[in-house]
Amino acid sequence: MQKKILEIEDIKQLIPQRYPFLMIDRVIEACPEKVVAIKNVSMTEHFFEGHFPDLKVMPGALMIEAMAQAGIVLYKQKYQNANLLYLVSVKSRFFNPAYPGDQLRIEVLPLKMFSKMGLFKAEITVADKRIAQAEIAFGSQDAKAA
Amino acid sequence: MADLKKEILDIVGMVIEKEPSEIPLDAHLVQDVGADSMMALEILAAVEKKYHIVIPEEKLQEMTSVNKIIKMVETGKKR
Repeated sequence: MQKKILEIEDIKQLIPQRYPFLMIDRVIEACPEKVVAIKNVSMTEHFFEGHFPDLKVMPGALMIEAMAQAGIVLYKQKYQNANLLYLVSVKSRFFNPAYPGDQLRIEVLPLKMFSKMGLFKAEITVADKRIAQAEIAFGSQDAKAA
Repeated sequence: MADLKKEILDIVGMVIEKEPSEIPLDAHLVQDVGADSMMALEILAAVEKKYHIVIPEEKLQEMTSVNKIIKMVETGKKR
């Protein structure tokens, strides 16, 4: 089966974040069981100006954001929901830093996807080196009413 | 049954960050214990993984107490 690829304009149809907070550049695999996204880390990223002036390291919090955004793409492979999705809980572990020039491969797998909320597993690697892992839960605007 | 009760209490306690001894078996997890619907999802996922069962979305709102979760797992295991 041919893998579904989403370019940036397709991604923008699925997730509401925009520059400087759009943290995935391309999706190289997308189905309800798995999404693989790519983020190219460039020296010109706005956050490198302050993180840190003398050592450019991608903030872990933004890696979580990248995993969360890939998670939205995963959710949208199964459900259409125009409501905003909120981050609910994150269990994460960081193994290695990411630097300018790195290409993050963000793989997300569903643990449980429901129409108004979900839980998924995410891993970031750079050239097969493990950078970060997380388990992320999210809910849509209307989830609390459920 | 005693083991199942302890295991489920451990799962619920871990997700809602309370000691199992602080969670009465029939207490309403949202109204009395301080959980929310998102925690119920985490409990559901943990229970599914541990017991190799599948709990459908509509059952989520029925997971209101530890005893109800125990019943759900027992029913799921019999299937």
